[in-house]
Amino acid sequence: MKLIKKQIPLAIVLVFGVLTLVSYYVPHKLSVDYIETMNKWENIVAAFAFLLGLVSLFFSHYYKIKRKADGWGYSLFVYVGFLAMVIPAFIWHGKQTSELGMTSLGWAFRYIYNALSASMFAVLAFYIVSTAYRSFRIKSAQAFVLFVAAFILILGKVPLGQIIWDSVLGWTGQGVDQVIEWIMGVPAVAGKRGIMIGIAIGAIVTSFKIIFGIEKQYMGKD
Amino acid sequence: MSETWMIAGAWLAAGLTVFLFSFLYKDNPFFKIAEHLYLGAGMGWWFQVYLYNIWEPKVWKPLLNYDWTVLIPSILGLSLVTQFIPRISWISRYGFTFMMGYGAGLAIPAGLSTDFITQIGGTIKPLSAMASSTPPAIFNSLLVAFGVICVLFYFFFSVEHKGAVKRVSNMGIYFLMIYFGAAFGNTVMARFSLLYGRFDDLYTFSAGQYLYATQFIIVGMIIYFALHGFLTKGKKEAEAAH
Amino acid sequence: MLKEKLEKFFKIDRRCIFLVLAVVLFAPIMKPLGLPNKTIARDTRNAYEFMDKLPAGSFVLFSLDYDPSTRPELHPQAIAMIRHAFKKNLRVGVVTFIAGSTGLIEQIFQTVPGEYNKVNGADYVIFPYMANPVAVMTQMASDLYGIYDKDQDGKDAKTLPVMQGIKNYKNMSLIICITGTAMLDYWVAYVGDKFTVPVAGGVTAISQPGYGPYLQTGQLKGLIGGMKGAAEYESLIQAPGKGTSGIDSLNLGHVLVLLLILTANIILLIIKYL
Repeated sequence: MKLIKKQIPLAIVLVFGVLTLVSYYVPHKLSVDYIETMNKWENIVAAFAFLLGLVSLFFSHYYKIKRKADGWGYSLFVYVGFLAMVIPAFIWHGKQTSELGMTSLGWAFRYIYNALSASMFAVLAFYIVSTAYRSFRIKSAQAFVLFVAAFILILGKVPLGQIIWDSVLGWTGQGVDQVIEWIMGVPAVAGKRGIMIGIAIGAIVTSFKIIFGIEKQYMGKD
Repeated sequence: MSETWMIAGAWLAAGLTVFLFSFLYKDNPFFKIAEHLYLGAGMGWWFQVYLYNIWEPKVWKPLLNYDWTVLIPSILGLSLVTQFIPRISWISRYGFTFMMGYGAGLAIPAGLSTDFITQIGGTIKPLSAMASSTPPAIFNSLLVAFGVICVLFYFFFSVEHKGAVKRVSNMGIYFLMIYFGAAFGNTVMARFSLLYGRFDDLYTFSAGQYLYATQFIIVGMIIYFALHGFLTKGKKEAEAAH
Repeated sequence: MLKEKLEKFFKIDRRCIFLVLAVVLFAPIMKPLGLPNKTIARDTRNAYEFMDKLPAGSFVLFSLDYDPSTRPELHPQAIAMIRHAFKKNLRVGVVTFIAGSTGLIEQIFQTVPGEYNKVNGADYVIFPYMANPVAVMTQMASDLYGIYDKDQDGKDAKTLPVMQGIKNYKNMSLIICITGTAMLDYWVAYVGDKFTVPVAGGVTAISQPGYGPYLQTGQLKGLIGGMKGAAEYESLIQAPGKGTSGIDSLNLGHVLVLLLILTANIILLIIKYL
């Protein structure tokens, strides 16, 4: 059983990992054929991975309703929302427009999903303002540097800020847009590049660990 | 779509938007309904996209044409779902390892070339062209190189951070702070842009052609909160009297 | 005494701040300030110039990977760049790896092609959503029809006039990825660098600073960042849209944040040295 449960899956990751890695450097017809088949297959496997999210959401709300847990009535709306998208999709076979114009699927996207998804994230704008007021504290030299960079970016990204800059610091001969360009193109590049190189090393090491079966947390427990 | 549908859509969109924003004042049932609808509608949209863009044309139709090879990735994909059944969850390992092996195999050379070698090259290359550069360009190139080294020292934990190493790694923090500061500054703009998008829609729906959807819904919410506040206050006082 | 009074400022009900923000963002929508964006960032100009110099008939692949959650920033960018491509008579192909963006792509192509008399199948093609970006990107290096055998409407992709002579990246002049995710990183790493195809991008303001290293090395030919980037591109193609009107509305909001941060820190200083 250990063979089927553990060793074969580890062999799969090793074989496909090594073959895919080698195919990057070997432009032989065999390796091209291999990678083409893999590309098509991996695309299909990834499409089924979506079911993980779907099943997990449906189960959790199904049990909430079944157990009559606190606020179980709201869980019904998860299914209402789902059907509001899926029923028009079945009717129109996934088409958002027809010769007659927008279909009910297009309508559902525009007025339900679009409104909900966009509003959910727009709310964050309010929190960033109250955070800026309550938590942005300049208590050290490092925090001061962060503050100066943030201040210039917030000011210089809008026309009113540019007018303020020109009237206060116009005598320096430097426009705020030039200062932003320098920040983004020189010190911020250094900071981000350092992070990038660090992450790249980490990712490469982790990938090797996955291929050679050293890292196998994603497989779950025995 | 008829005009009536457009007006209904405007009322629905304005309503859902205001319901989600109402959380900023206080948690309430309208917010909870909209929140749960969002989860369902998102899943529903994705489901139909997967169904009509991949499952039908890439799996179902080939099977109808006796192309049995698509069964291999389909079974591997379906194996992932066994994760929810503890007794046979090990089957999902076949799907996961198939994806992880391929993904890791592609990620190694791409990461090595794009985020490692090219970045080191990009730091050194301007230095080699110094002879033909202007003084500000030379200064900038040196600053980038110095900054990258400092940041790498900051992340380098194999030697103890003291003495010169500590000073260099401390400099690295300043470069990181400038990057984070720039990112924070831009985040403000990004968040405001998203809010502007919703406000812009609410303003559109406030027009007469949409029968003043926004105004009516906002007034409705205010009345709800006022009534709710009044009634709960009455209840609390009654409980206190007991 | 004064110290206690000042400390009260930090205990202010945050809903008051929320209300002020709502007012300063909503008011300019009702009555625009009339302060349009004037400066143009180097990276936006580079993206514009790269596309502008392409000869008519060149094939540009758009990877539109954003959903409604980042729509206000990225939708105007996508519209402006597609308008530019049509204006220059470039052939346009569209792919996506984000399920939520299919509805937004549909919205763009309902209106924009008509402005330039462009026809689906002859001047542009929309491919269906695919789930695994890395697999599809790798496949398109050898034969894109291996994945995209049909267009979004189920028509045979190979026989479409817009696809004549297009098989893989060698036949493409530019890839533009507009995204609120890491998709642009994938295009750079798995396609741009390996197959030496020019890649440009449009991203949210949040992720914009992170692309500095790619821009410095030339791995990215240009980059549009956030709503300001959209406004810049709109002014370059002289077609003001939601980016231009949006940036006008953000003016007061930005100043409000700066005032709040400054006020809070000045109060802190006074409390400290009192």
